[in-house]
Amino acid sequence: MQKYSIFSLIKNALAYHEGWEKVWRSPEPKSEYDVVIIGGGGHGLATAFYLAKEHGITNVAVIEKGWLGGGNTGRNTTIIRSNYLWDESAAMYEKSLQLYEGLSQELNFNIMLSQRGVLNLAHNLSDLREIERRVSANRLNGIDSEILNTQEIKEFVPIINDSPNSRYPVLGGSLQRRAGTARHDAVAWGFARGADTRGVDIIQQCEVTGIRQSRGKVTGVETTKGLIKAKKVGVVVAGHSSMLADMAGFRLPVNSYPLQALVSEPVKPVLDTVVMSNTVHVYVSQSDKGEMVLGAGIDGAHGYTQRGSLHVIEGQLGALCELFPIFSRLRMMRQWGGIVDTCPDASPIVGKTPIGGLFINCGWGTGGFKGTPGSGWAFAHTLATGEPHELNAPFNLDRFTTGALIDEHGAAAVAH
Amino acid sequence: MVDGYLRQSPLAHLHLDARAANDINVTDAGLMLGERRHVGMINLRGEPADPAFAAAVKKAVGVALPDGINRSSGKPLSIHILALGPDEWLIVCPPGTEDSIFGKMTKAMKPLHAAVTMSSEARTVIQLAGTDARNGLAKGCPLDLHPRAFGPGQCAQSILGRADILIHQTGSNAGSSDASYDLFVLRSFAEYVWTWLEDAGREYGVKVFSPAEK
Amino acid sequence: MLLIPCPFCGEREESEFHQGGEAHIVRPKDPDELSDAEWADYLFLRKNTKGLFLERWVHLHGCRRWFNMARNTATNEIIAVYKMGAQPPKAAINKPPKTAVDKPPKAVGKGAKK
Ligand SMILES: Cc1cc2nc3c(=O)[nH]c(=O)nc-3n(C[C@H](O)[C@H](O)[C@H](O)COP(=O)(O)OP(=O)(O)OC[C@H]3O[C@@H](n4cnc5c(N)ncnc54)[C@H](O)[C@@H]3O)c2cc1C
Ligand SMILES: [Zn+2]
Repeated sequence: MQKYSIFSLIKNALAYHEGWEKVWRSPEPKSEYDVVIIGGGGHGLATAFYLAKEHGITNVAVIEKGWLGGGNTGRNTTIIRSNYLWDESAAMYEKSLQLYEGLSQELNFNIMLSQRGVLNLAHNLSDLREIERRVSANRLNGIDSEILNTQEIKEFVPIINDSPNSRYPVLGGSLQRRAGTARHDAVAWGFARGADTRGVDIIQQCEVTGIRQSRGKVTGVETTKGLIKAKKVGVVVAGHSSMLADMAGFRLPVNSYPLQALVSEPVKPVLDTVVMSNTVHVYVSQSDKGEMVLGAGIDGAHGYTQRGSLHVIEGQLGALCELFPIFSRLRMMRQWGGIVDTCPDASPIVGKTPIGGLFINCGWGTGGFKGTPGSGWAFAHTLATGEPHELNAPFNLDRFTTGALIDEHGAAAVAH
Repeated sequence: MVDGYLRQSPLAHLHLDARAANDINVTDAGLMLGERRHVGMINLRGEPADPAFAAAVKKAVGVALPDGINRSSGKPLSIHILALGPDEWLIVCPPGTEDSIFGKMTKAMKPLHAAVTMSSEARTVIQLAGTDARNGLAKGCPLDLHPRAFGPGQCAQSILGRADILIHQTGSNAGSSDASYDLFVLRSFAEYVWTWLEDAGREYGVKVFSPAEK
Repeated sequence: MLLIPCPFCGEREESEFHQGGEAHIVRPKDPDELSDAEWADYLFLRKNTKGLFLERWVHLHGCRRWFNMARNTATNEIIAVYKMGAQPPKAAINKPPKTAVDKPPKAVGKGAKK
């Protein structure tokens, strides 16, 4: 692997930047691998990277029907935090945040992690109680989390509307200072480069169309580039999880919805943190280019259209103008949607399926970008050993039968 | 059923009569707004396919059921009936007549599979008129209010801004853009809808008036 | 934004409606008789198809009536609306799926009653 550094930059600058290596290869698929990972989003690529790095398993293919990170990974609003309510989620998301903190060095690829803090607003008594409960739970789990009152919020975010007369006044909020944002494409590309260097084949423009099994065990996958054999297969396809489960013949508690985001025209720096509000349904941060990055809630109905309905963003922009009157003249430049895979308890599924050798990683819904390294790390362990790591053991598919749900609706339903 | 002297409109604190008196000479407003207070409203559920039901309603209130959903029958300022759904209607009557109509309806429906519920004072009625009444509404209501899709005698439940509304077009002037509507709004949303409408009408000019009751 | 043909009110904008998830899920008569897996299936496991999807809707801010809808979740084409308790119209269900993404929804089934 060509190492990126100030010296390589200078060297290549002198050669008119014509000497850079391709960041990853584009191989034709072999007929058989030890492990096949379906889905070349952040989670699938992270899984391949940690399989190679932590477990020495390199005879691996990542199969992606489109282009790398073209799913939710390249469509999200890049918020990263770990202040989840329950112990199980806190452990998983905190592991992920810690991996993020060292990721640029580990991958030798700048993922532009910016720990600018994430502020969750409270607009009514129930919000305040929920926040107080969550902040206390976070602290017990050793996760940095603090409560701010209206005045402290105003000092932290001077452009916020703190009028007590607004319909949903800002009464307080929780702040995780280690939280923030990262560049989503860079996360996918960095993991892809790291995996490719270690021998993983990344195969784009190749769709999985069937899952071969024999006697309850997986034997390979049918793809648009032919049959690829493997005794272990990991499904990491987010919004399309139910499709893959259908192919394999089992059912999931997943529902897929469009989730939208928008960016505005670029403006000078005015917002140096991430502000989110579940109650009025909007969240916003400012990108390095100066654009406001905005998101809201999912659509009201199932869908695979990657677009979403206009009335959803109309409500979201209303909420934005209420919270930040300064943005009322801001023009929106682009809007898009992803297909998010939501679970009944707003927590992901990472583990075994009823089919031997077939494992699934899905249900991250509206908030799985922050989970990318942790999810890949734990899923790699699961694929390598055949058993879940203690980090992802609670996130099994069986919990919907046993009733051991991990209800993160308070922390995850709207928030990302 | 509410003692008359205790009854208060949800918009009473806006002193609309005083504003109407003040606006009396305004002639260039595109949107005219007024509140019809204490209009009687009785909710009716029943089986429209049963001829006995339709006949009993007509006999009790003197107005036949409308001939389709989202249609009205009767005259706007006297007793009229708005069809809200396949088996649901709102009987609307002039202030003060609701108790007697409610009594007649309860009696008439007794032998039938039907329900009569008094819901006067649950909502108030905001009347809209003027050349820009339709334009003002269209800013926050997803209904197609164009004359080819919505005209006098039609009603619909929908949303305006963030509030649920029941809208009834009561009139239009042939050859002009004039249209008038009754907007039925739940008490707790009344102030929101009123101020929303005043805001929506700013560009056309707003005139507050006191609607005439028969 | 969908234009949804309410079987009672005709075409109205999506913002007046609320979707109620997969249609035709029958509550088991004897929950006590079910295994945990069967109960979990009833509570949580859902079809979530890409393509023809049968779902429940309520005209929440309109006539407030529930009805069923057959929709293509990949294109948002509305294939049919039909009453609660009824089975989906066969002709609509067997229709080959359209691929065009931008095709406006069409009112079919019993059509909009005025
Ligand atoms: C608008 C929006 C905003 C969001 N904001 C945030 C946020 O601020 N913070 C946060 O933490 N999370 C956020 N999320 C959620 C986050 O983006 C996802 O949870 C996460 O990116 C999922 O990653 P993934 O790798 O599992 O899925 P994806 O990136 O979607 O990757 C799945 C891949 O599988 C491929 N695939 C599907 N079917 C097949 C097949 N049959 N064969 C081969 N390949 C297939 C797809 O093409 C896709 O590339 C947001 C999501 C959206 C849509
Ligand atoms: Zn309807």
